[in-house]
Amino acid sequence: MSLTRSTSADGAILTVQIKGKFDFNLVQSFRQAYADLNSNINKVVIDLRETDYMDSSALGMLLNMKKNLTGKVDTIQISNCQPQLKKILQISRFDKKFDID
Amino acid sequence: MLNILVVDDLELNRRLLTVMLEQQGYRVFTAENGLVALSLLDEQKIDIVLLDVIMPVMDGFETAAIIKERYSQVYLPIIFITSLEDEASFERCLAVGGDDFLHKPFQEVILNAKIKAHSRIRNLSQKAREQNLQLEYHQNQVEREHEIVEHIFNNALENQQSFPTHLDFHLSPAAMFNGDMFLVGQSPIGSLYCMLGDFTGHGLAAAVGALPASRVFYTMVSKGMSVSDIAAEINSVLAKLLPGHMFCAATILELSNTGKSVSAWLGGLPDTYIIDQQGNIIRTLESQHMALGILEDDEFERALIHTEVETTSRIVMATDGIIETINPREVYFGEKRFKDVLASRDNISCHQVLERVKRFAQGNEQQDDLSLVLLNCLPVPEPEQMVEPYSELPFNFSLSLNSKQIKSTDPVLEVVNVISRVPGLNAHRANIFLILSEAYNNALDHGVLGLDSDVKNHDDGFLIYYQQREKALANLTDALIIIDIRYSPEEYALYFTICDSGHGFNKQDSEQQNLVREHGRGLCLLSEIATGVTFNSAGNQVEIYYQLTASSTSSQ
Repeated sequence: MSLTRSTSADGAILTVQIKGKFDFNLVQSFRQAYADLNSNINKVVIDLRETDYMDSSALGMLLNMKKNLTGKVDTIQISNCQPQLKKILQISRFDKKFDID
Repeated sequence: MLNILVVDDLELNRRLLTVMLEQQGYRVFTAENGLVALSLLDEQKIDIVLLDVIMPVMDGFETAAIIKERYSQVYLPIIFITSLEDEASFERCLAVGGDDFLHKPFQEVILNAKIKAHSRIRNLSQKAREQNLQLEYHQNQVEREHEIVEHIFNNALENQQSFPTHLDFHLSPAAMFNGDMFLVGQSPIGSLYCMLGDFTGHGLAAAVGALPASRVFYTMVSKGMSVSDIAAEINSVLAKLLPGHMFCAATILELSNTGKSVSAWLGGLPDTYIIDQQGNIIRTLESQHMALGILEDDEFERALIHTEVETTSRIVMATDGIIETINPREVYFGEKRFKDVLASRDNISCHQVLERVKRFAQGNEQQDDLSLVLLNCLPVPEPEQMVEPYSELPFNFSLSLNSKQIKSTDPVLEVVNVISRVPGLNAHRANIFLILSEAYNNALDHGVLGLDSDVKNHDDGFLIYYQQREKALANLTDALIIIDIRYSPEEYALYFTICDSGHGFNKQDSEQQNLVREHGRGLCLLSEIATGVTFNSAGNQVEIYYQLTASSTSSQ
């Protein structure tokens, strides 16, 4: 379980990649990942390609992020979900709130 | 010792020459006409032939021509024995292959000088011949080795899947030895990965890096890892393996399975273009980084370019072969012409582009490393998943955690890992995790620790909640959580029972209100993923029923 953040070459996109499980253990590091955003950043991508597991606390963290970043960035995208996690996001109606690729 | 053949029909001449030559320590053979001479040449290793012109049976002209034809591999000098007045025939002597003339009457000094000069040339020719044979041997060996290596590389680099509607690419058959490679793969969630690489140099040396690079690529793609991770790993492997002056300019990109977004790592190759159907350039992706295999791990630059694409977009990647193609007037093909060609017709194909480049080159060589990739940004069909058959054994699994274990462990993932070992259940592990995580954390947070979720609804509530949780956990004594999981192969179902030593629901609230308030999002999610969720009346035990088959079909 780990979290890495990287900025795109043009400095406009922040990607937060979560490996392993996405649950309450990440509360602090996840919050820090999007705190003090550089003003160049207009898009945040939560890359779940290597996320195997998530639970409702992850959903809560995502909603908190959305609340926090609204007005600061144009888009928040959740990308590269594995099928079962995509289903969890759909059940929770996250496709209405986030751009899920 | 030098062997000299004297061919003359006059015995006097033969004798005279034999004596003169034997005095110099040469071994002398004699023949009275061309035919005898040829059979002697057949049996003996002759180094120089002294040949009379006019002889019965076979004259010197005919003999010389045959000798030159038969012994062409090493210089075998023929010195014609002539009289000075014979000038008219000199030309014919040269035409049939004569190398020199010896005039009668014989002068010893001249004879010796000519023999020495021609034997020196013969020596050089012999050495050259030996070296040529050696060269030929090595050349054959290298060719054989190339064939073997090519075979191995073709097998190793061969793309397991092809994506004909997405990809149109060209790599010449000899591309491997030009150091160009193109790899394609698909991740488990369906995104399409491409890597175009160009190793420095040519030949076998340029090709060696392709093997480890391709292994890393395919392995990491099959795990669906990010382009920056793949680039970093290939860089690390190549930096360790390759000598300092060798590296690999590369573009690695990932097209998401929706076909809508592209992530690219660009190191050292010419610009990648995103074009529309008409070939107009929508965006140019310029190289951002140093080629792979140069920087140390801690210096490596992982930054990617992310861009949205339309289903009508096409991505164009090429190594430097195209723009560096030169025509006979020494004009480079160049980027401008390349862009013009791309826009010269709708949906241009690789073949059409390369035809234009070849026409430009007008037969100039160095056409063999024109590597070109055209990728259509369409949604990618999901890969077929291997379906593991379900176990027929009725597994039971249970554990009870005391307060010490509750404090010091986070048992959910470990339990999931154990359960997922049962054949057929691995495909459900994300759902099993979710069920167990919700049920266990509910039992712990609200049952054992007695926390109130309400705080989560406030600003920063999440953090406060988990701080409260940590504090409560530290003070925990005399608690118990029991997890019981039963797999039923007859029903294709999993039954979970999670029971805690807490007080259960507040009796004053109705059960319905409690569930909503206490468990909120977690419980909603749980009841969507599971087929049945029931609490006991005390509220400290939950039973969850999860249908395996239903879920696996609906997960698509």
